[in-house]
Amino acid sequence: MPLKLALPGGQLARPVDALLARAGLTASGYTDGSRSYRPTLRERDGVLLRVFRERDIPIQIALGNYHLGICGLAWVQEQLVRYPSEALVMLRPLPLPPVGVYVAAPRNGGPATLAGLVGHRGLRLVSEFPDLAEAFALAARLPAYRIFPVWGAAEAYPPEDADLAVVAAASEEEVLEQGLLPLHRLLSGPPWLIAHRPSLQGKDLSPLLGPLMALEGEGPAPDARLELPAAPMAAASDRLRRTPRPASDGVRLALPDGHQQPSAVAILRDAGLSFAGYDEQGWVRRPTSPIAGLEVKVIRPHDMPQQVALGNFDLAVSGRDCLLEHRYRFPASPVAEAVDLGGGQFDLSAVVSQDLPADSLAGAMAIWRAQGIGSIRVASEFPAIADNYARTNHFWRYQVIPIGGASEGFVPEDADVLIEGVQTGRTLAENNLKTIDRFLRSTTCLLAGQREVSGRKRKLLAQLIERFRGAVGRRACDG
Amino acid sequence: MSDESLRCRGMRDLLPPDMARFRRIEAAFREVSLAWGYREVRTPTIERLHLFTAAGTLSPHMLGRVYSFLDWDGWSGERVVLRPEATIGAARLFVEHMRGEELAKLFYVENVFRFAAGDEAREGWQCGVELLGDTQPRGDVELVLLGRQVLERLGLAPVEVRLSHPGTVRAVLTQAGLEPAEQVRTYDRILDGDPSVVGELEGRLPDLGAPLRLLLEGEGSGSAYVANLRGTFAAGLPALLSPLDELSTMVEALAVLDVRCRVATAAVGSFEYYTGPVFQFEVNGDVVGGGGRYDGLVALVGGPNLPASGFALDVDKLAPLLPSEDDGRPEQAVTIQAASQAAAVLGAAFAAADALRRLGLWTEVALAAGQAPTHRWRVIVDRKGEGVTFALYDGSTRRRRSFADVDGLVAALEAMVGAS
Repeated sequence: MPLKLALPGGQLARPVDALLARAGLTASGYTDGSRSYRPTLRERDGVLLRVFRERDIPIQIALGNYHLGICGLAWVQEQLVRYPSEALVMLRPLPLPPVGVYVAAPRNGGPATLAGLVGHRGLRLVSEFPDLAEAFALAARLPAYRIFPVWGAAEAYPPEDADLAVVAAASEEEVLEQGLLPLHRLLSGPPWLIAHRPSLQGKDLSPLLGPLMALEGEGPAPDARLELPAAPMAAASDRLRRTPRPASDGVRLALPDGHQQPSAVAILRDAGLSFAGYDEQGWVRRPTSPIAGLEVKVIRPHDMPQQVALGNFDLAVSGRDCLLEHRYRFPASPVAEAVDLGGGQFDLSAVVSQDLPADSLAGAMAIWRAQGIGSIRVASEFPAIADNYARTNHFWRYQVIPIGGASEGFVPEDADVLIEGVQTGRTLAENNLKTIDRFLRSTTCLLAGQREVSGRKRKLLAQLIERFRGAVGRRACDG
Repeated sequence: MSDESLRCRGMRDLLPPDMARFRRIEAAFREVSLAWGYREVRTPTIERLHLFTAAGTLSPHMLGRVYSFLDWDGWSGERVVLRPEATIGAARLFVEHMRGEELAKLFYVENVFRFAAGDEAREGWQCGVELLGDTQPRGDVELVLLGRQVLERLGLAPVEVRLSHPGTVRAVLTQAGLEPAEQVRTYDRILDGDPSVVGELEGRLPDLGAPLRLLLEGEGSGSAYVANLRGTFAAGLPALLSPLDELSTMVEALAVLDVRCRVATAAVGSFEYYTGPVFQFEVNGDVVGGGGRYDGLVALVGGPNLPASGFALDVDKLAPLLPSEDDGRPEQAVTIQAASQAAAVLGAAFAAADALRRLGLWTEVALAAGQAPTHRWRVIVDRKGEGVTFALYDGSTRRRRSFADVDGLVAALEAMVGAS
């Protein structure tokens, strides 16, 4: 079995690539624009490299799928704080720039210190690191707090849609630049080299371990511990205060960033809506609306269904995939598709390796059963959809592996089947994958809350929905 | 757990002998509790997580081990939890349904869920009692006696009672000038056996006049020991007097009933949770249960400022300690065998079984082919002409008799049971 090293994609890829080169481990296909997730090491046989989204690396190490990994401290602690697995060992900090995780409040109107949180009931914490946020809330003994995990842009939520954000930043200054006031630093440190303990105990990892451990650090070893706040002593219930929420009779619309932005811009234009700061060229967090009573904010489409259900937004331009993921997880959630906007089409599909001699799910299942696979590994960025798919298709024993991205690299080594959005299938082909079941068409859609509204808000909401419907109708006539 | 097991890690199946022990414990606990005027309740397995996260209800260590998750309503951001302990649920039940009552005496048999390392049990069963109302010190004494009687009813003797009081620790840490959060951390270090902590505290308490170790790590017996602690520390630690008085009252009241207590003032375990005397029950050196006073709890779950105390016995720790008992099958029992699969024979066999059970006899129909009879009496039902016949064998006398109908069989067995 080869030595397996998990490497981070994204912003950390280039510095890690340079670090590997310094250690004499020169990788090909890591940062040169390749769409493969399997770089190779020059002049080193028997080593398998694989690129993951950072958040997926600690779980891959703990599972033993990879022997060693390089990952930011925040994601390592995010995993350890909830699952203090003995299987994951933090070996050493690497000479790379540090990143911190901060609990932060809105710069205006929020608490100015940690002590200011004591006794506030029902605080809303938003974060890409929900388990670190929860550890903080528990240690600080926040009463009846709520954690809202988001896929990104946590800094966008306070003050309207959250009271606190737990965000990653290089420094307190960077937190301030995000428009937030840092109250407490939960951790700070560079990325770490981590290992699977049983592999460390029983497998010769020295071809990778030797050069990586020999890298010289800079200065004293940083402290990797989680710095949780000292627990205030029991707060009597009569001291607890409900955190006030601003009331609004206007309408709040969430618009997507990322790959859904172009189709959102197009549908807005067709609907006769245009917002300064949101167009083909880019976006700002809070685009300006020319319509009185309409407020617009840009957030991740994945996070929209929950935000609409909570009543933080009345409308959102998102994907049906995001709505289904939310509704499969929370069937009672008060959010629904109001208008199928039609753009951004792709198919949610079951994807397997091209080497699997099957063209259908039934064929793949027959092969897996014949092979005696104990448990079918289903990887997906949409774990609730994947779970529903596995359940309704009578997979017997299966594991859903929630992943943060770089999904095409999981099959076949780390998953048997991928539940993935497929448009052209080109990326799949480049990664030796194929579709065996296209089971759901996803398009851009307008989400709306299912709460009763009245007065001015109701009128404006109806007008906006009608504008979107009209745009879809005109497109159908033109098209 | 092997990789092949279908059972979830840390979860345990209770087999017939386990269930027999479980029911013995439950029955003894219910009988004693009912006889003492307590009423049984049962709370839901799933509760809102925030009930447990409020200050003082569970330590961060415990909260790190709860089964919390987002259910169907989790879009609101609110997590729920598989009950990690039963007292908070009982307090919530009181607040929601009984808050007008000045005194509630409740008991329950419930399971609790906590993550544990490796294959350690993650589900446990507790027999618990909650006393909600202003009962101190009478209630504390009653709880110790009630718990002790349950254990004695189960044949577990001698039962040792160990008393402590969080007020003693709090007195030391407050006088040492530690902030509340620092008090919690320091107490955790004491529980962890950190050897340096006593020295550090003594450095902060130069006028104590006696070794602090005596108070924090010492253990003694009866009211004499409590009196000695009072004499030793009264001058240097005046805040110690109130908790020592409470302990003294309990020790002396229990001594009247011949219950001798060991006193380890600082061994509270959950410093934030308890507010008054804390007790543990030990059998053969094993702690099998415990409880104490938690006066702030009802208010923390949204109720009035009502004092409360209680205890729980750990069923999983008690079960292995129980004296062995037979499997509960009576000596005088009947096995009925149908000699053929004919409908008339099968019907007659089950009719005979029904009639004998009405007589009060433990009666089993042999279901498997070739099942060996294990009871004193065996009845073989067979076809005879157009009807059936009942052949009765007495295993103790080796006599055999035949009957043409069920009534004859029942009459004969009734006479034999009466005679024996």
